[in-house]
Amino acid sequence: MNSARLLRHLSMPLALAGICMFFALRESAFLGPRNLTQWLVEFSITGTLALGMFMILLTGQIDLSVGSGVGLIGGIAAVLVFHHAWPAAGALGAAFLVAVLLWTLMGTLIVRQRIPSFIITLGGLLVFKGLFWLVIQNSTVPVLRGEQDNLYSLLTTYYLPRDAGRALAGVVLAGLGLALWRSRSARRAHGLPVRSPRFVALAGVATAIGVVGLVEVCNRFRGVPLPLLILAATAGCVYFLTRHTPFGRYLYAIGGNEEAAVLSGIAVPRVLVGAYVLMGVTVALTGFMTTAYSGASTTTVGDLMELDAIAACVIGGTALRGGRGTVGGVIFGALIMTALLNGMTLLAVSPEIKFIARGLVLALAVWMDVRLGADAPRD
Amino acid sequence: MPPVFEARCLTKRFPGVVALREVNFALAPAEVHALCGENGAGKSTLIKLLGGIHPHGTYEGELHVDGRPTEFRSIRDAEAAGIAVITQEFALIEELSVAENIFLGRPPRRGLRVDWLELHRRAAVLLADFGLDLSPETPVRDLGIGQKQLIEIVRAMDKRSRILVLDEPTAALTEQEVAVLLDHLRRLRAQGTACIYISHKLDEVLAIADRITVLRDGASIMTLHRTEATIPRLIRHMVGREITEQFPPPTPPRPEDTGREPVLVVRDLSVAPFRHAPPRLQGISFELRRGEVLGIGGLMGAGRTELLLHLFGAWGCRIQGEVRLLGQPHAPTGPRDSIARGLVLTTEDRRRYGLVLDQGVGFNLSLSHLRNFRRPGGWIDQVAEQRGNQRLFESLRIKAPGLFARTGGLSGGNQQKVVLGKALMTEPAVVLLDEPTRGIDIGAKQEVYALIRRLTAEGRAVIVVSSELPELMGLSDRILMLAGGRLGGEFRRGEFSQESLLAAAMARPAPRAA
Repeated sequence: MNSARLLRHLSMPLALAGICMFFALRESAFLGPRNLTQWLVEFSITGTLALGMFMILLTGQIDLSVGSGVGLIGGIAAVLVFHHAWPAAGALGAAFLVAVLLWTLMGTLIVRQRIPSFIITLGGLLVFKGLFWLVIQNSTVPVLRGEQDNLYSLLTTYYLPRDAGRALAGVVLAGLGLALWRSRSARRAHGLPVRSPRFVALAGVATAIGVVGLVEVCNRFRGVPLPLLILAATAGCVYFLTRHTPFGRYLYAIGGNEEAAVLSGIAVPRVLVGAYVLMGVTVALTGFMTTAYSGASTTTVGDLMELDAIAACVIGGTALRGGRGTVGGVIFGALIMTALLNGMTLLAVSPEIKFIARGLVLALAVWMDVRLGADAPRD
Repeated sequence: MPPVFEARCLTKRFPGVVALREVNFALAPAEVHALCGENGAGKSTLIKLLGGIHPHGTYEGELHVDGRPTEFRSIRDAEAAGIAVITQEFALIEELSVAENIFLGRPPRRGLRVDWLELHRRAAVLLADFGLDLSPETPVRDLGIGQKQLIEIVRAMDKRSRILVLDEPTAALTEQEVAVLLDHLRRLRAQGTACIYISHKLDEVLAIADRITVLRDGASIMTLHRTEATIPRLIRHMVGREITEQFPPPTPPRPEDTGREPVLVVRDLSVAPFRHAPPRLQGISFELRRGEVLGIGGLMGAGRTELLLHLFGAWGCRIQGEVRLLGQPHAPTGPRDSIARGLVLTTEDRRRYGLVLDQGVGFNLSLSHLRNFRRPGGWIDQVAEQRGNQRLFESLRIKAPGLFARTGGLSGGNQQKVVLGKALMTEPAVVLLDEPTRGIDIGAKQEVYALIRRLTAEGRAVIVVSSELPELMGLSDRILMLAGGRLGGEFRRGEFSQESLLAAAMARPAPRAA
């Protein structure tokens, strides 16, 4: 239904604005430069993981193991740096490889042995948690050895110099403009319909305001934080994969109708394993960022992050039964989820209440998914 | 006598489409009233209104039951008014018994618990009334489609339904089952039940209906009494034009194709569903040439679909025999492999196995061919893709608002065109079509027939599986009849007759259904 779709489109910005207003009224520091930057870092961490989860959910599968995985991969890198004095780059690379291997293995088990992903990844949740605690020996392992910053610790403490941020915004906008112009002229050359110039101009102005505004907000504190760039790069890649490559089309097709996908000549097993491998990549990135953010690997790093990632996707309109969802929606979902968590932390809400709020938001998001899924014509 | 049910000036709009416009329809007591029309004419929408699926307030116009205006807010309201709608998708629970299904949701009780003895006793009485020789304890999963249909009707009758709505009840039934069903309907009519009967099979409609209302493009065109109706007349009103010739004539083979190697050679093929199982297909041999249409017929369970699926690489474990495609041995590892070698299949159940219904027409059209739109760096050249899609969209004359229209919202005939378009985009040498015209309207059938001719004129080879003998005879250059997983006979054009084809189909006892 049209009104339902409109409601869905408006509901996310409205919810986000409402949440921000609520926290800003209770605590004016919420929208201050320091906290905004902190929120953006937390948003980048959750958002990166949610983008990996997004591709899994698109196929109608699920991954419950990513929270423990985030802890484990961050922990491996921290142990290599702190106890074994590896250079940070080598430690991150090794931990990254471990993540890719583990997720390849899980994907293969799910596809080849036809074990439901729910069970395999639930097993993964426990196994990775155990491995994590073994690796860090239930202790606190800092991400740097000595006082000297390394690549690992810089992940969340490095800020782009103000002018570099501005220059980057310019480059990004120019790149987007160039891509748009090329696509338009190619479409026009072949007589395909193009958006009206007015729409393009409006969207262009909005994008420019958004990008420049974001950079200036960050510049009021220390500049654009590195995690935001990692998230932006990840989002760009996932957008390109899902919108512009056969692999992405296949994700949607498998989630929409797996049997039809097989009979259309899609190598379904290969695509599914691919989605899990990419999940492993985002788990590694998230593991490094979130461990660096807390300064050390401790037993609680990554706890329940799988639920935040799933909630961000579902809030953003990704269907749990697969076949529906967008990168933009996931980004919005992650913003909403992290705004809630950040705001509650700022207000010093007790952990009990935080758990309850997180649970309610997850349930509410899934309820909305079910309701809106039922409203869509299903004939 | 006032009509038991009447629709006055019904108009139902969906975004972008008017599904019904000012439809009038009246159902007399103890009448079988047929609704005829092409797919997309508005039949399903009309019965959804009167079954309460589209509740009051979502449409304009009035519904009257027994002469009084009525507002259905839900399916329950319609059921309470005595209306039972039976669609092709059965509302039966496979794992429960016949008796449990009949009394689903309202079993006889003794205190808090279900009175199983009473349940089975009453079910047995109902089944006997219907002349069904079935134990009430049989699980529904073990029943044939025809029996399931009858169980649905038994359930509706037990709910004291006065108005029975049957949507394509015979689409999947054998001729004997159809006869049984029609007998039951006549008996119910004699007892005073009114029935709305929707079917594409016009001979059946003429055999059972008292009156026939024709819908076209969402409007009620006319209501005919049985005595005034003939098949040509009904078809004329349904399509709004005369269909002069049902099947386009076969195209002569192209000169460059005569005398060339057959594109597909099957020799002594035996296939089992899985390893160490008894074979379902045995000793099948045939050849297929460029520009030829090979029809494959047979009764239900003869192995027609299995044969196509096996050639496509989607079913079975080959026990013996050889298949050669374009001169090469063909033992595909899967559909992907087959498509790459130039052999495609469209399945009989397009909604379940053919389409991603939530996605647009263009998404589905290019799905099998995406790799060919890939540019260095792995991205899809979306301009080229969209042009390819647009070309097929236009040449197949798919009726949809555009390439981005949701495929699930199209009529059956247009969905079928999308499935065919997806297969054709891969530029196949051999096209396997499983029931390409099932459940689509007459106009769309004509277009599918014309398309098959176009394919052979381009030098492609086509295999058509169909349950309708006239269709096989009209389309094919040769017909193979399968019987119980074996070849029952092979016929050339000119030797076709319904009698000889049927005799070949029953050449051997059919194996028991798996």
